[in-house]
Amino acid sequence: MSDFANSLSIAASGMEAQAMRLRHVSENIANADTPGYHRKVTSFETVLDQGQATGEVRLGAVKLDPSELARVLDPGNPLADQNGYYDGSNVDLVVEIADAREAQRSYEANLRMFDQARQMSASLLDLLRR
Amino acid sequence: MFEKPEVLTIASSLAAHAAARQSAIARNVANADTPGYRAQDLPDFAETYRAEDAAPLRRTRAGHVGAGSGSGVAIATDRVGGGTMSPNGNSVSLETEMVKAADVKREHDLALAIYGKSLAILRASLGRR
Repeated sequence: MSDFANSLSIAASGMEAQAMRLRHVSENIANADTPGYHRKVTSFETVLDQGQATGEVRLGAVKLDPSELARVLDPGNPLADQNGYYDGSNVDLVVEIADAREAQRSYEANLRMFDQARQMSASLLDLLRR
Repeated sequence: MFEKPEVLTIASSLAAHAAARQSAIARNVANADTPGYRAQDLPDFAETYRAEDAAPLRRTRAGHVGAGSGSGVAIATDRVGGGTMSPNGNSVSLETEMVKAADVKREHDLALAIYGKSLAILRASLGRR
């Protein structure tokens, strides 16, 4: 039974991490037109409990993408310099959408694992009910 | 038949093996995007069964009493099955994991069906249907 409890908590941690990743992706997309915005980059890491890997996963520290900001030509913008350019964001919508898709796919895989562990423990408990 | 209900022992070992493997698969799926993570897997139940032909089949995990004698039931790391290593050093293939998950579910259902049926036979022989 502890294996199932283990599976459930691991799958839940996976879902939580993917949901957080999706949240950062949506933050990036929402700020795609914010001047000077650096996109947030996330990475996963395994959870350690007293030096031992528990198998759970969590989102690591959020970093900012240091790549160059897009230069946008808009002389009428109050932020524009003397040449008429201002710093846009370095968000690439295509990359963000791809990332969101991957997060969704991984979330569903974790959900399936959760559901399967639940079903297996339920059918195990059914044996007791007879 | 039920002088020594070995069927029940085997069935419960199979169920325990399925549960342990399910846990390993859940770990792989959760870490499908963790850089540097290597997919883990347990050997097939048939392999562990043959390895311990004479011994009872109770040692399905490394933590069990008497385990650790190299019988191959511990969690084997670095089992790259089907999937290739991605650039960030992760060797989990979600497709392979899904296939394994279906396999584990089937294994577990089989074990529980056998267990339940054996209990039903026992009950029938006691005259309590």
